[in-house]
Amino acid sequence: MKDDVIPPQTDLRSPPQVMRLARMGAMFPTRLSFLRSLMRRLAAENVTVTRPVWQMSEDGFGHAVYSLDLGGHVYSLVAVSTDLPPELRTDRVIATAWDSAYVLYDGVPDQEEIARITAAAPKQEAARFTERDLILSRANKSVRLFAHVVEALRAGRQPDRDMIRDVGYLMRTTAVYGNGKFGIADRNLIDSRTGLEGPFAAEMLTVWLIRHFTHDLVEHTGKGRLDPQLKRHLGIGNSTGLGMAPFLVNHPVLLNNWMLVRETALARVRAIDRLEGAQQDRLHQLAARAATHLAEWNVPDPAHQARIDALRGDWDRVRARFDFGVQRPLDHAMTSIQHASFDVQELTAAMFIEPFGDLVDGLADCMGDPFGGFCPPVGKLQALRDLIETQFTWALTPDYDAPENCGQFWYVSEAKQEPRLGLRFEEDGAALESPLDIGRRIKALHVALLSEQGSLAEFLAAHPEHALAVSRVQMGARYPYAEIQDNLIATSCLPIDMLRCKLSFFGASKFDPKSDRWTRITLCQGAPLAGDLRDNADDWWLPVFQP
Amino acid sequence: MMCSANEVMTLAAKAALGGGAPPAQASAFGRAALCHLIAGRSDKALMDALGALPDGPILSLPLAFLALTEGTGSESGSGSGTGTRATGSMPETDLTLSYAEAQPFATSAVPQAGMITVQMTLSEPAQIPPVARVQIAQPLADQMTALVAKRLVPESDASRLSGAGAGLTDND
Repeated sequence: MKDDVIPPQTDLRSPPQVMRLARMGAMFPTRLSFLRSLMRRLAAENVTVTRPVWQMSEDGFGHAVYSLDLGGHVYSLVAVSTDLPPELRTDRVIATAWDSAYVLYDGVPDQEEIARITAAAPKQEAARFTERDLILSRANKSVRLFAHVVEALRAGRQPDRDMIRDVGYLMRTTAVYGNGKFGIADRNLIDSRTGLEGPFAAEMLTVWLIRHFTHDLVEHTGKGRLDPQLKRHLGIGNSTGLGMAPFLVNHPVLLNNWMLVRETALARVRAIDRLEGAQQDRLHQLAARAATHLAEWNVPDPAHQARIDALRGDWDRVRARFDFGVQRPLDHAMTSIQHASFDVQELTAAMFIEPFGDLVDGLADCMGDPFGGFCPPVGKLQALRDLIETQFTWALTPDYDAPENCGQFWYVSEAKQEPRLGLRFEEDGAALESPLDIGRRIKALHVALLSEQGSLAEFLAAHPEHALAVSRVQMGARYPYAEIQDNLIATSCLPIDMLRCKLSFFGASKFDPKSDRWTRITLCQGAPLAGDLRDNADDWWLPVFQP
Repeated sequence: MMCSANEVMTLAAKAALGGGAPPAQASAFGRAALCHLIAGRSDKALMDALGALPDGPILSLPLAFLALTEGTGSESGSGSGTGTRATGSMPETDLTLSYAEAQPFATSAVPQAGMITVQMTLSEPAQIPPVARVQIAQPLADQMTALVAKRLVPESDASRLSGAGAGLTDND
């Protein structure tokens, strides 16, 4: 950790407690989420957003360029707005056209570069990009809200506040590509730059600028100005599907660092001995804000709405009992809710971290993976066996031959080369299964090791299929939060839990699951506008509608 | 074809997987292939390695380096590990140099008289240096792309509806 003096902390919640899908699927954003960290950085650096190019038809089709200086580098968002026939509008990854397309550009693009990007960006995956192009994205309109806001502004009035509150965004992104995809810049070309060191920092910067563009676009098309309070509540939506789920499995060190930082932050605030009166008041205010946020969080899916409804009731009961005047108040409160639902526990954890930036914000510097999954070898077979038996009991427990424990398989589809999840006993393709069955592999390794002596190299020469499991077990010694401690091929595995975990680290709220495999979310809702960075840039955890 | 480093590494790893390499060895090949192309070494070594799957250097070279870390040597070389340091030698090939450069530990590889002397500091992480662009020749790209395709599952009506989880309505 980079802090000069490490604050005291309680014991961390253990990996077997934390790294379960059901709990990961109940996570909320925190002040350590990437968008929050980015906003603090933008505010600290006094960033100003300019709009050097705005070439837009009256109906809002054309292109624009936004620029800002962050850490001594200028970045520009090139935004392209297209007149999309309604029948082509879909959020699914199979789409080939979108309402808008974006490139975050390294520098200020000249006319030639703008022409290149405005031609290529609308084609997305079908085009090729350069190392000056840092991020590639696209977004579709929330047609209902966008049209309403335009109509209202053209009529000289503000849009319906209930609609603004209920939808919460004018456009939603359906992909935000980074790290070399389709020829854009590799992440390691920019990850040492001030402001872009953190995970997904360039992606979050892009999303925030896209939100800014959607505000400008609707005001331009509506020929009027939105109330700033309404504007601040308009975030940017996002549709996310299975493509994101394997990331957590394929980047175990990042997952470890994200979870370890969050748990360390929680442990630090739990160690606070006494809270001042103002701090107690602040926590009660945040608890009330959370209640309002929950009340404003409504989704069409009955099952998820029932879960939100239950959380509303539970939250009101739990927060009424919070007593922050006792010794070690936050530790006491967390202990008191240890048998509550995961939703309550994780909401409480996120809230408790919120007021204590001085204790936890420095931890955000530890959320990257500067060493690329570095892990010294364990070496001896007995050491591997011991590691499995002490740290991977979760992997040894299931009978992976039982149909319910292997009922699903991950694969990559031919059509879009995107991750998919199939039913093993009903669909073809299991022979081409992707290696996300980490638990099953570790159990198979354990069985194979029982009868082996000699060196690891000799073992893997005879059993090369176990090399992946060996590498994951070796990582376990150094990265205790690296593995999702659940069977990812069980019939009961819900990818939506993986999506929510990752998206909460982005800073997403208002999760709106459309199935157990894809969800809509809202990013940047309540986040400072470009002109607000100097004032109150950091107080937007679980935003509520405040016009 | 000019690509990002991540594209090359991912393409090579997926190609090895498509050719029959286990996942960890396929990932190691992805890193090595990137180092190989950055260094401007021969495409033929990569193509031959992929062509040799499910055997060949994509399986044996990771073992050779692992053996060095264990101080146990291997069929292709010999070595000694001393906790955090490992040294040894193995026959010189273009691909061996590339695997040495792709090690996640600080590694030096010195060719001499047909052998490569390898020194690894196991406590010190190493990263492949950033590069803006990597050139990949079309025949190699074509071979890799064909191998990648072997791992792709054709869509069916059922998987189209359920595989990604999207329903029929996703607009508002």
